[in-house]
Parts: sequence; structure tokens; C-alpha cells
Amino acid sequence: MTSYTVQPSEGPRRNALVRWLAADTMNGIKRQRAILGYTFLIPTIVGLLLFIVGPMLFTFALSFFKWNVFRPPEVIGFANFERLFSDPRVFVSFRNTFLLVIMTVTMLEVLAMSLALAVHRLASRALGYFFRTAYFLPVLLSGAAVAVTLGYLFHQDFGVINYYLGKVGVPKIAWLTDSNVVLWTISLTTVWRNMGFTFIIYLGGVSSLPSEVLEAAQVDGAAGWRRIRSIVLPLLSPTILFATVTDIIKMLQFFDEPFIMTRGGPGDASRTVVMMMYENAFGNLDFGYGSAIALILFAVIMIVTGVQFVLSRRWVFYN
Amino acid sequence: MQRKMSRREMLKATAAGAAGLASGLSAATVLASDAASGFAAPPLQDAVTIRFQESEQEYADVVAAYKEVAPNVNIEFVNITGVDHAEIASKILAQLAAGQPVDIGYAATEATQLYAGEGLALPLKNRVMDSQADLAEYFSDVSPVLVETDLYQDDLYQLPRDFNAANMYFNTALLTEAGLEVPGEEWTKDDFVEYAKAMTGIGGGDSFGYGWTNRLWGSWTPWFFVNDTNLLAEERAPGGEWLWGTFYKDDPNAAGRGGGWLWPAPQANNPAMVEALEFVVSLTEQGLTPVVELGGGATLQGFFTSGKLGMTPAGGFWSGGLTNAGMEKGGFDVQFWPKWATQRHQLGVGAAWILNGGGNEDAAWEFVKFNTRKDVMEMIGFFGERTRTTPVRRSMNNEERYSKTGPANWHVFYDTLDKRPDTGPIPAPTFSIEETNIYTRYTSLATSGEMTPKDALDGMQSELEALYARNPSYPPSN
Amino acid sequence: MQSTTVSTRDTAQARTRFRRPEWLPRNPGSWLQLLLLSVMAVFTLMPFVWVVSTSLRTPAQSFTVPPEWIPVDMDFSNYTRVFDEIPFWNQILNSFAITISVVCGQLLTASLAGYAFARLRFRGRNVLFWIVLATLMIPGQATIIPVFILISRVFGLSDTLWALIIPGISTAFGTFLLRQYFLQIPNDFEEAAMIDGANQWQIFRKIYLPLASPGLAILAVLTFNAKWNDYFTPLIFMNTKERFPITLGIVDLQGYMATGSISVVLAGIVLSTIPVIIIYMFGQRYLIEGLMMGGLKG
Repeated sequence: MTSYTVQPSEGPRRNALVRWLAADTMNGIKRQRAILGYTFLIPTIVGLLLFIVGPMLFTFALSFFKWNVFRPPEVIGFANFERLFSDPRVFVSFRNTFLLVIMTVTMLEVLAMSLALAVHRLASRALGYFFRTAYFLPVLLSGAAVAVTLGYLFHQDFGVINYYLGKVGVPKIAWLTDSNVVLWTISLTTVWRNMGFTFIIYLGGVSSLPSEVLEAAQVDGAAGWRRIRSIVLPLLSPTILFATVTDIIKMLQFFDEPFIMTRGGPGDASRTVVMMMYENAFGNLDFGYGSAIALILFAVIMIVTGVQFVLSRRWVFYN
Repeated sequence: MQRKMSRREMLKATAAGAAGLASGLSAATVLASDAASGFAAPPLQDAVTIRFQESEQEYADVVAAYKEVAPNVNIEFVNITGVDHAEIASKILAQLAAGQPVDIGYAATEATQLYAGEGLALPLKNRVMDSQADLAEYFSDVSPVLVETDLYQDDLYQLPRDFNAANMYFNTALLTEAGLEVPGEEWTKDDFVEYAKAMTGIGGGDSFGYGWTNRLWGSWTPWFFVNDTNLLAEERAPGGEWLWGTFYKDDPNAAGRGGGWLWPAPQANNPAMVEALEFVVSLTEQGLTPVVELGGGATLQGFFTSGKLGMTPAGGFWSGGLTNAGMEKGGFDVQFWPKWATQRHQLGVGAAWILNGGGNEDAAWEFVKFNTRKDVMEMIGFFGERTRTTPVRRSMNNEERYSKTGPANWHVFYDTLDKRPDTGPIPAPTFSIEETNIYTRYTSLATSGEMTPKDALDGMQSELEALYARNPSYPPSN
Repeated sequence: MQSTTVSTRDTAQARTRFRRPEWLPRNPGSWLQLLLLSVMAVFTLMPFVWVVSTSLRTPAQSFTVPPEWIPVDMDFSNYTRVFDEIPFWNQILNSFAITISVVCGQLLTASLAGYAFARLRFRGRNVLFWIVLATLMIPGQATIIPVFILISRVFGLSDTLWALIIPGISTAFGTFLLRQYFLQIPNDFEEAAMIDGANQWQIFRKIYLPLASPGLAILAVLTFNAKWNDYFTPLIFMNTKERFPITLGIVDLQGYMATGSISVVLAGIVLSTIPVIIIYMFGQRYLIEGLMMGGLKG
């Protein structure tokens, strides 16, 4: 902040507390901002403590217990973690999740940003409206809807997708039952379903750019690309940081699509960490083991996010 | 006139208020006595609220009828809308953890031993024996095959309500196009293969002879049953004479039954199991079976309805289900599972269980007993015009029930129990959800061709062995 | 939208005989761009067309290959059956009540918290921010049981709509989103306002909040949608069909032991998606206005 002295204001007389709070000195302003800061945070912090942090601590504590809900929990120390680190299936689920995150987030960010830039520079209002709506529509569907729809579309023998591929001479693809294909299928589905979400965030970022900047990047070809890279991307960097951080966090918690479409199969080829956690807790009634998996996942997400923030200091540009 | 009306309304309001007050007070009493030591459920004269895990749509008539018999009992519906057992279990467990479980729950074979083994479900032996007069007619109308599945360690935990054995469904349009007819009861596995071949590639060119869904019930499970083996070794716990001797004295099919099924060890990779899996995988390899999916069977139903599948395993629930999905009467028919080494069928049974230690056991028991009456069972929604699951009562499986929507061979559903009394439950020990997960996981590796059936079953066996090792208290020793 | 740029570089148009309609691109690069946009739109829309056309067909014709995209004989019976089988209007109203309450609550709490993290300096800010961020990192499935215990035992709210509203009001995602928006706004505004004698509340309310409107609009749309489609929480928390949100109703349509008709399920999906689409189309105006307002500041 620039330092300069503020002229005392000529407001109406106030009582002592208000005067102390509203004092127009540097200290007064600092005080005001601190108090305002704490006050503003109360609803969020109380809610999150109550409904997420508290339950989260409960879950973490459970990882040192054996608990099936029917019987009282039983302390077993680090046994759940010992089992976890020697469980090859947990390792596979982490590997699948990382692969899905890399594939999906890369596609999401590149597609969503390009489409946002392209839609924003469209000359026609109506076309802009149409594309924005089209890209956002899949986000509006519920998990149940996606399950029913895509189960049919991707069906190996009766599905619409393989039918049209067959027309152009591609043999039937086992979208959901081939270990080498299934992660791509899920990744594509996720991109289909979530692209509109990321797209809207980028559209917001692009819209807040000064219009001169975008006009400068209107040139096509190499020059335009260079300008996008050297001017637009740095200005968009806070949006890029936000979108990648939230997308990565969200995708590390991959659950719906594989749960709905493949139940983790074939074998464990599309089983994710959260599916492992859910199945162990609710399916196998081993809430301790499920909690241990949740704790490790939490640690991994924490580290990944921390690294992103540290790296972001080098490339994110704030006004 | 005006005045009279309002007075009557006032009386009504007063009565309602009093009832509300009474129920509030009795709830307070229950809580107080619960806090004191938890003994003595409130006598039945008091107003009682029973939390009942059912859909109001299906049970509205039953509850209305019960109101007349027991006006002091208030039934509160707890709807559980899960798509699979894990989701339903999620809800039951969350309610249990919060100390607010249902008084009467519903469990299929998959969860029967879990709830019994964990002490959640109330053992009913003494109550059944004290109510012989009320229940004799019910048991005389229900096959011992069904009742045996709800026995665990010589006690009874549920009174069966509906069941589904996996029979073979046929799409009659495809049958006709292939120049075939519904086979006889004695048809064999080889006949089946001929049927599957004949019904493949017709019906517009893309039909398949036989389709199935990868799960525990009605998956490739019927095939290892007819190959005279099982995923888990089967055993009958000792006991049960009290039940068989009292209610099934004259029923030859009750001979040799015990105190409930136990599955003491896994045997996924024995030669007969391998042979059965190799057989179903070969159907896929020959192009007679479309890709095998995991799930609840909704996709399968869609393809069967639209004439893409010739045969598929299903039970009585499909007779109303297919009609619901738009198939005409006569568009499908049903027969026994084909004979291989045996013709033993697999089934699942569903029934209510009562919460043990919830304080409302007596009232809940009376209601459960009321539900076994034939006139009451007829009131349940899914036993209505479109029968969406098979009633356990022999007398309810009649011409009339299936006349509008059912298959011509409707009698097959109950004949599976009466003519093939060796029919048994899908293997479901206390840890059946985890068992199912292992079973479907390795099955998917075999059907997708990523593992040979033998390797998949070896893997399945070793994971099942680890599962048993983690659950040393099963099978329980008497 | 970008009409100023069109008029500045229109040399190509002068040579053409006909007047180019506004929406037609002006050079090969733009044509390519329009083509890519259109291909993406086809991919995103295709499943919707399939759902709608299948829901208008009898089940027996559902899965014809080659797929028929245009339903020939419009069969609306699947739609009427949705109303027979579930209390549709009830459940739609519940979904609206829950969703709108949560959206309003989140806009309020997240704009306050986001502003505090972005613009106000106080002790413990970074620690608190990391706590907020950390709550994003825990999957909902891991905390559902303790939350249910809290809601039912402590608050006594299970099986009420409040059970679905109250835990949703505080939002880590929204706080983070709006923090990023507030961070992007230049400091000059604040300095200018302070010289004009505005107090800290006024600076937030009159200057920063309007400038963050793209963020608010985005948060509203995304929250609306996430809450509308929430399935797992109501599954655990709600017992009475009349109090279910529509997501549970749709699963009900699949029927006891999956004996429902797929076409009816698809009809239910279409019906339950229509309100969201209407809200989105209606809200898009505000969304875009919000986005434009943020854009004006440059």
C-alpha cells in the first residue's frame, strides 16, 4: 500500500466505540480491517468447522480403530496403515487416480480455455449464447442421468458410438471392459460432463481482461498465438491457478463416473481412491480402513495443492 | 347445522391433540425407561411409533388395514432409495451410528446373515413358537426352501415375504423367428447352446442368444449351481427341528434341512467352478453373448425388451418388470434353468427383520406377523396387478396373478421350489458385500478376456481366503 | 460483443459482392475456429438429443440400430407415467427450496470470507485460508456419517429440508473462487475510495462486491447445479418421499429391483432437467451481464 496521511473526515458525531473503530488513522484503518476480516470469516469458519473439519477429524481418528458400526470401535493402532501400505489394490487405485487426473485435467484446461477465448471473441451474440449453453448443458445433468445415458451410448454391442465408428470402419471398441481403454473412456466422459464448469470459470477470467488486450490478440496465426502466450495467459494466470487447483482437487476425488459406468472394472482397472475408500467403509463395513485411505488421500491432495501454490508464485500475476 | 359441524370438528381436534400428547408422553416414557435400564418395552395399549423401512406407495393399504386392528400403533415410513446393497447399507449404518435405526428393516439374502450375525436383527424362534396358531397357515403355504434361508444358527430372523430364483427368460419373438419353442422342463445345457446359436444374429441382425449381468444373484452363479458346485463350500448348521417338526411335519421337501446355511470356506477354483466359468466365457467368445456388464440389470432389461436378447436369467420380478417396461403379454416366457450335472437353482429371499434392543420389539413383531396373513400380503403394491417380485405364498402364485402380465409358464416360479427342492440361496455369509466385490471383480477380468477363467478363479480364491482370514468369527462355532 | 473490432478491420468485406451476415467469420482462421466450436457443440449435445428422442419412444423401439434421432410417433406416455409414479411436483419444489436457500447462503458467506482473505490483513489469515482450502480436500463420502450424527442427534433435523440446507451454507470452493476475483481487482479503487472518505464496509459493499459480480454469478450457477444434482446426502438424510429432492425421485423411477422402464426413467430425467435449463437460460443473462460488468473495469 502507498503510505500517505488521510484527512480526518467531517462525518456526524459518533459514539466512542464507533469512533474508535472508524478512526481514520493508519492504525484505525488496520484495526478496522482486522475486525472486519474476522467478522466476515465467522459464518464460513463456523460452518466449515462444524460440518467439515469436525467430521474430518472424527474420520481421521477412526483410522486407528476397527469399527463396523454394529460393535463398539476397537483401538488397533497403526494396523490399518500397515495393511494399507502393503495392499497392492490401494496402490493401483492411486495409480489410476493420478492417470485420470493428468489426462482429464490437461484436456479440461486446454479445451475450456481455448473454447472460452474463442467464444468470447465471436462476433455474433446469438452464436455466443448458443455455444455457451451447449457447453454448459452436460453440467446440468445428474449422476443418475449420466449413468443411464452413457451406459447405453458406450455399450460395446448395442451402443450408438460403436455403431457410428463401425460405419467408418473402426472395429467395435470395448469402451468399458478393456483395461487399456477404460481410463480413456472415463476421462472423456468426465471431460464431457465437467468441461462446461471449467469453461464458465475461464469465461469469467477472459471477460475480466481489459478489452484492448483481447483485441491485440485478435490477430490470427503465429503472431496472434504469440500475443496470447505473452499477454493473455499471464493476465489469465489467477484464473488458471484457480481452475487447475480446484479441478485437480476435484479429480483426485474421482468417484461418480467410474462408480456409475464400470464399478471400477474390469478388475481394478478403473478403481479410484475414493471408490476404494467408499467400498471399504460402506461395502466391507471397515470404517477404520476406509478412514485410513481417506487420510492418505487427504495428505496427497494437501501436498499436490501446496506444491501448486508454491510454484504459482513464479507464474501467477496479480494486479 | 353450522354449530354442529364445528362442534364435531372441535371434538376431533381434541381427540387428535390427546393422541398427540399421549404419543409424546409415551415416547418420553420410553426414553426414560431406556435411560433407566432399557428393560420392558411399553405395553401394547400405549401409542407406539414404529419406524418401518418401506415405501409408502407399496404399503399404504397394509398400514391402513393395520390401523383398524391396532389403532394405537403408528407406522412411520423410512424410504430407502438405494440403487444397490452398498447404498442401502450406507443408510442403515448411518442411522445405526446416529442411534436412530429403523424398528423394522428389510433384508434380502445378501444381508440376512450380516444383520443376524451382528446382533442387529431380533431372533424370532421363541416368538414363532409362541404364535403357532397364528403362523401355521402361513408356513403351510410357504416352501421350506425359503424359510431355511432365513435361519441362522438354529434361530429364525425373518419371515420370508418375496423371493426370486433365477429361471431362464425367453424373448418369444426371437424364439419364433428362430423356429423354436419354449423348451420343456428337462432341457439341458447342450439344448441351451443350440437355442443361443439359433437366436443370435436375427431380429434385425444384431440379436444375441443369451445375455447376463455381472453381479452375485443371477450372474453366472446359476451355471455353477447346475454344475453341482458353489463359490463357497455349503454346510447346514445343526438344529432347526423345532421349526421343521412343528410346521413342516408332513412336507417331504422339509426332510434333511437343518438350522440354517453356513459357508465355511471358499472354493472358487475347484474344477467344476472352472468348467462353469469356461463355459460362460466361451459363449462370449463365440459371439452368442454380448459384452458382460457390471450393474443392476437395467441395461439388460432394456435390450431384452427391445428384442436384442433371446435368453437371460431372471426371476418373478421380471414378469411385472418387463410389462412395466412395455412388453406385451406373451412377448416373453420362462422355463427352468437347463440341466447340467444337476438342475439345482439359486435364489434370493427378501423379508422384514426386527431391530433387536430398540424397545419396540413386541409391537414390531405383531405388525410383522400381521404381514404374513394372505389377505394382507395381497395388499402390498408390488404384489398387485404388475407383480414386481414373487410372493412367497404358493397360493398367491396362481393363474389370476399372472393372467394379465405374466409369462404363460408362470408356474415355473414356484415349481422351482416344489419340484427342485434342492434349490439354495446365493452364497451370502456375514461379509457378502465384500465377497460379491471379489466375485464380480475377477469375473469381469475373465469375461473381458484379460485373464483365463482358471487364473481369474485362482485369484478369486486367494482373495476370498484372505477375506475369511480377516473374519475369523465366521462361521460361528456353536 | 466485439463489434468495435469488426469495423476496424473489414478490408476483405469491401471486395465481396454480398453483405456478410454478422455471425459469419471473416477469415480462414476464424472459420476453423467456428468449425471447432461447432464440433465440440455436437459432441456435448448428442447425448441430450438421444435422451429426449428415446424418452419419446416406446421401450420396444428404444435401442434400434441405426439409432433414430427424430422420434417418429411421439409417445408421451412415458411422461405421464412419471407423474403417476413419484410425487413429482413435490420433489421439484423441494429441490428448488433447498437449492435456492443454499445458493443465497453461499453467496453471502463466500463473498464475505473471500473478501476477507483477499483484501483484509489480520493475524492468522494464512492459517485460516489453508484450513478453508483443506476442507476442499476431503471427499464427502468420508464425512457423511459424522455429519449425519450431528444433524440428527445434535440438531434434531434429520428428514427435514434444513438437514440439506444448513451444512451447505458455508463453502470452501466459493470462498476460494471469490478470493481469486477480489485479488484480481486493482488496488487503485480502494485508495481512491479511501480518499473519498469511504469506510471499510463501504469499500467492500459499494466498490469491491459489484466488481466481483462475475465471480458471484459463476458461484450461483455452479452451486445451483451442484446442489440440484446432489444425490448421496439426501439418500442418507431423508426418509419421507414427499420431502425427497427430485434426484432421489429419479432413482425411485428405476423401480424395485430395477423393474422400472428405462424410457420412463429417461422421461423423468428430461422433466427434472428442464427447470435447471430454464434457470440457466434465464440466469445466463445475469451471468453474462455479471461477466461484462467485471470486464468493464479495465
